[in-house]
Amino acid sequence: MVAAETAVSEVDGANGRLIYRGGYLIEDLVPVVGYEEAAYLLWNGELPNEKELDALRQRMAKARELNKAAKGALTAMDPTTDPMDILRTVVSAQGAAKTLTKPTLDEAVALTAVFPTIVGAIHRRRQGKEVVLPRGDLGHAANLLWMMTGEEPAADKVHWLDTYLVLLADHGLNASTFAARVVASTGSDLASCVVGAIAALKGPAHGGATLAARNMLDKIGSADNAERWLAEAHARHERFSGFGHRVYRTYDPRAKILREMAKTAAPELHETAAKTEEVALRILHEAHPDRPNATNVDFWASVVLTGAGIPKELFTTIFATSRVAGWTAHVLESLSDLRLIRPASRWVGPQPGKKPLQLAKR
Amino acid sequence: MSSYVPGLEGIVASQTAISMVDGQNGRLVYQGYVIADLAEEMSFEEVAFLLWEGRLPNRAELDALSIELANHRTLTKAANIALDALPADTDPMDVLRSVVSVQGVEHRLARPTIPLAIHATASFPTILAMFHRRQLGLEPIKPRADLGHAANYLYMMSGKESSPETVRALNTYLVLLADHGMNASTFTARVIASTESDLTSSLVGAIGALKGPAHGGAPSAVIEQLELIGAATDPETYMREMRKRKEKFMGFGHRVYRVYDPRAKILKEMCRRMNPKFYDLGVRVEEIALRILHEEHPERPQSTNVEFYSAGVLQAIGLPTEYFTPTFATARVAGWSAHVLEQAANNRIIRPQSQYIGPEPRKPVALAERK
Repeated sequence: MVAAETAVSEVDGANGRLIYRGGYLIEDLVPVVGYEEAAYLLWNGELPNEKELDALRQRMAKARELNKAAKGALTAMDPTTDPMDILRTVVSAQGAAKTLTKPTLDEAVALTAVFPTIVGAIHRRRQGKEVVLPRGDLGHAANLLWMMTGEEPAADKVHWLDTYLVLLADHGLNASTFAARVVASTGSDLASCVVGAIAALKGPAHGGATLAARNMLDKIGSADNAERWLAEAHARHERFSGFGHRVYRTYDPRAKILREMAKTAAPELHETAAKTEEVALRILHEAHPDRPNATNVDFWASVVLTGAGIPKELFTTIFATSRVAGWTAHVLESLSDLRLIRPASRWVGPQPGKKPLQLAKR
Repeated sequence: MSSYVPGLEGIVASQTAISMVDGQNGRLVYQGYVIADLAEEMSFEEVAFLLWEGRLPNRAELDALSIELANHRTLTKAANIALDALPADTDPMDVLRSVVSVQGVEHRLARPTIPLAIHATASFPTILAMFHRRQLGLEPIKPRADLGHAANYLYMMSGKESSPETVRALNTYLVLLADHGMNASTFTARVIASTESDLTSSLVGAIGALKGPAHGGAPSAVIEQLELIGAATDPETYMREMRKRKEKFMGFGHRVYRVYDPRAKILKEMCRRMNPKFYDLGVRVEEIALRILHEEHPERPQSTNVEFYSAGVLQAIGLPTEYFTPTFATARVAGWSAHVLEQAANNRIIRPQSQYIGPEPRKPVALAERK
């Protein structure tokens, strides 16, 4: 079912291609652009020149502070609360307003800028440490690592995280993006759309898959153990986390890039992961020779994010930090031809017209 | 690839046994019961039970539900702090979205359950009333366990017990609005639930969708528009001029109903009894609006929607206009959570396709070379 027309991105599952707005293949973009450029592209339809990119960087750097309501919501919550719940709540508070406004590009930029601040604060609070203030001289990815650690981030870590953020910034009409577009279709505000998208991304069947992949790798523990662990899990009819996708019929182009990057980002975990992939694909192919079984982006993302120094509990919030550019781009795109998304449902309940019994007779 | 269907109109997105909107015959059915048979007979609690469990409760079950609701009317400490941190002039829908989000935080992902639905439903009136009191600079009122859902909401808003007629009217409103097929907010809740996310996430998303003026966000606009029309020397001339300026008549038209909305019929009658001033002007405006709309589009079935007379009823109940949409949410949370439970029980991720309308693949230019 086609639920929207979009120029923001295209997932060409049959050929294993992900195309970002403007017609760029993801593998062509990654060597050339950083996260801010990718976000600019998704929002504006063109890559920025140096001046435009500088202007965007400055706008984002200025928008990193939380407002009073958002700070209040953040500190109200126990640090051990699910990070996605904190993100959902703080974004809601940050976007709380007196009157309903139509989503704008300015709002999209500001909301995107604030995600690393929230994720950084979540991490610090989980560790019982003081929250680190944002730094205007750092780029989006570097500032995120700075706010998590309070230390000057290493260039390679920034590069790995930044690449991840570019790769995950949009992906057609996935469930969270669709949720954002449904909310937008009622004429609601941008914060409501993004909060709805965070809520959808939280689900293990969607954004939670990266954490699930890493958890599986942790259980496997080492390359030597992969064969035995996976065979046993398969015998118990357990699903292998990080494999299979509704859309791709070939190797996910994002997974390909992350797999390569994982070798240097996290050599030890890469070894386990590479063996796990080999065995898992073999078992899946033997069990379902008819199905195209491929490694998905979550599998290799879990390895690269580990290399970038992101604790696994924060994986889904980092996914959201990337995808917010795509969510907001979709919302802004939908405004040009806004139509309420209200599908039908098929009634499978009792025949209408049943008369209710009075309480005393039930 | 199948073709693009704008708004997914007429596309079946899920199966449901919770409610059916029979637009052709103007019927709204909850679990087999026609809304007119429930509206003035049942308490909101009974209807919530019906939506969640699929059958009406007996006395013991209703008592147990009432106690469970009453026991969960207090906000958590975190929710209280978050509520107090929001500026006093915040849109109450944004307050609801944010505070429901905190109230429902968890430490481990939990599957949606009926107890969780009850707890969330119980918290809505408290959140709204506490914020309303704060806006007025008044002390919050503690919930009262001896009052039903509707009565306690009004009590916490005003600090006084409302008349039985007022309570009954709010109760009927809550019953009428508790569910309505696959509307945009309910669909949002189901899309979120389809990722195996938690109940609070679904509800927060649904609140965000209900906020939109094309969905739940317009009942206060009905009042504003009626006041303007009422102040004009000749309402019909004024309304015809409105159309020339391409202004929409608030409270008319619906994607699904082809005849008079059965809820609007009941609310209209309540409005006649409770709010004669609104009613007298309302029926005149309704008649003129339907006539003008029919002249413009004789082929379209035009009818009054639920928002129009809701506004008169909620006004008579004494709720401030900015609390109309949040009160809608207070009713609909029963339906949202019922749909989430239904989705979770037989889940498949809702991930539709999109049609790419962008340029053909091309190569990016390096930053320094871009114009």
